[in-house]
Amino acid sequence: MKVGIPGGLLYYRYGRLWNSFLHALGAEVVESGETTRSILNSGVSKAENESCLPVKVFYGHVLALKEKVDALFVPRLVSVKRRTHTCPKMLGLPDMAKAAVGDAVPVISPTIDFQSGLWHNYRAVYSLGRIFTSDPRRIIAAGVTAWREHRLYLERLTLGLDHRGALRGEADRLLCEGRDLRIGVIGHHYNVYDTFTTMSLLERLGSMGVDVMTADMVPEKLRERELKRLPKDIYWSYEQEVAGAILACSRYRLVDGIIFMISFPCGPDSIVRVLCEQENRLMGGVPMLTLVMDEHTGEGGFLTRIEAFVDMLWRRKRREAEELEAVAV
Amino acid sequence: MRITWPHMGSLEFVLGSVFEELGLDYVLPPPNSQRTLELGARHGPEFACFPLKTTLGNFIEALEAGADVLIMVAGRGPCRFGYYAETQRRILAEAGYDFEMVPLEFEPSRLPLTVKRLNRLKQGRSWASLYRAIKFALHKAHLIDRLEQQALHQRWQDREKGATTGALKRCYRMVWEAGTYADLARVEEEAFALLRSVPRVEREEIKIGIVGEFYLVLEPYFNLNVEEQLGDLGAYVERNIYLTDWLRPSGERPVLGHHEHGSERLAAPYLSHRVGGEGIFSVGDTILFQRLGFDGVVQLMPFTCMPETIAKSILPQVSKDLGIPVLSLVIDELTGMAGVATRLEAFADLARFRRRARADGIELAPQPAF
Repeated sequence: MKVGIPGGLLYYRYGRLWNSFLHALGAEVVESGETTRSILNSGVSKAENESCLPVKVFYGHVLALKEKVDALFVPRLVSVKRRTHTCPKMLGLPDMAKAAVGDAVPVISPTIDFQSGLWHNYRAVYSLGRIFTSDPRRIIAAGVTAWREHRLYLERLTLGLDHRGALRGEADRLLCEGRDLRIGVIGHHYNVYDTFTTMSLLERLGSMGVDVMTADMVPEKLRERELKRLPKDIYWSYEQEVAGAILACSRYRLVDGIIFMISFPCGPDSIVRVLCEQENRLMGGVPMLTLVMDEHTGEGGFLTRIEAFVDMLWRRKRREAEELEAVAV
Repeated sequence: MRITWPHMGSLEFVLGSVFEELGLDYVLPPPNSQRTLELGARHGPEFACFPLKTTLGNFIEALEAGADVLIMVAGRGPCRFGYYAETQRRILAEAGYDFEMVPLEFEPSRLPLTVKRLNRLKQGRSWASLYRAIKFALHKAHLIDRLEQQALHQRWQDREKGATTGALKRCYRMVWEAGTYADLARVEEEAFALLRSVPRVEREEIKIGIVGEFYLVLEPYFNLNVEEQLGDLGAYVERNIYLTDWLRPSGERPVLGHHEHGSERLAAPYLSHRVGGEGIFSVGDTILFQRLGFDGVVQLMPFTCMPETIAKSILPQVSKDLGIPVLSLVIDELTGMAGVATRLEAFADLARFRRRARADGIELAPQPAF
């Protein structure tokens, strides 16, 4: 059985997990690969106008796989952490995928919900496995392998590899090499690691001689500590990560500047943006550039702003160094 | 302590009645206007959803009118509404206003905090009197909802345009002035008699349902009077949510007379999980309206509303399968009156033609949503 995994949205977080689990169960896994111009175009033409950019990209990936597979794998992640939700769009994602492909291809969508306890999730994963094999030991073994692969993938992200490097396990090209200027590129995985919609931002920053720090590289303890300070806790799982990373970066000066990547019109981000920009200002944090991307974002405008931001950070850095010298003399 | 809250349809009569009963000081924000919208859009985040901006505008105008305590409902998502209070507090504080935001959260783990906040809001009045005031206000809300429903059902037969709307306004006043349960019972009879006495003419009937995000469905100023426009176009209108459903979130829906579970079951083949807000009900109630013999459904959604965006991407499929036309109206601060009016007119015509065709036994193509 050929199972397709669309390479959008949460693929940038769980792709490794899904792929190795299905593979270990004996399914033939087909991935839609990286986003391309034609994938984006077909997604934009099929998806709802008001959807956010990553959902449109996701539609494109679904349509690219439609002809090639026997089933699509689009899990429904309701909650990945206690007392939090994912974004509503992810709750409705399997249904949107169904509406996109019609009856042509069945959509496999196990529901993962950590609010209803471990047993429920075990059942969901197990019954997913039963579609492919009737051997319980094989399902459990596949689960263990997949989880191990997933941990390894996340660990690589934490160490400073980008999504592509972490998938292939290339440990030679790190985002953070100890250069003088370090910029935090913070945002959802699918906003930061998608090389097409971000126009290879991470790579470009690297070639400008700048270190990049992603939300994964910010220590979890610091993120959690920042979140606890907020008067009202954020109830979106991935948003917690983003906001925690930005606030930690700005409070502990982990970086020289922050680029906050948002896709238009992301619901949770529009709220978290207000919170982060204000908190950052109040604690006198670091310079912050909020980049809003959509399918019309032109490369020229995008690059100009990033170059200007980097130049400004360099200038600021030099001035601080000079002032420090003057004091020392 | 001068308390205020944002406008939402007839909420002003209901909450106002609570504060009148308790004898507490409160300020109503000035009626919704273009200025409300401009203020909200200027201070609000760029692509936050539309109700956040309008209620922010209400708050600013109320603060200018002398209010200093703002009431807002808060929650735990997954829709953005749960975070409105906190976001608006931040924005208003940064804009330099002096106020106190009181978010009321009703999930079990936050109830102690909410009780504490209510205790402060009631300023020394007894809990028993607060309970009585709220109970009475809920009765008023239920009556207002039934009156509104009656207006929706009869407006299409008006001999003179606007007669029902005028009568409904008088009804609001009568309900507002009622002070006891006996008064309310009398008002109920008189108000229904008043509405029914509006002169009617015989017209060809079409039935149109309204579904969508609750704030837009309930707030006539910002949904550009969709209900009234449809009524004037000759449509018997029903909406899927009333204020009572929102004030008493038991899932019961006393005005409409069916339970939310029914709607969820109907939606299941298309949308099998709650997506926050009214996403699943927009899908389920569209199917419900089709079963009840309605000729079309209008979906109201604020721009960038997440649950409704999901519903909107699924509704074309529903529309095709069941053969019911669905018009999705996306509303934000730039929506123009004329554009909406034109589309509603075309939609009402379409519904009428389809009804005639069905009566004549003509085969109809499944109508995709537009």
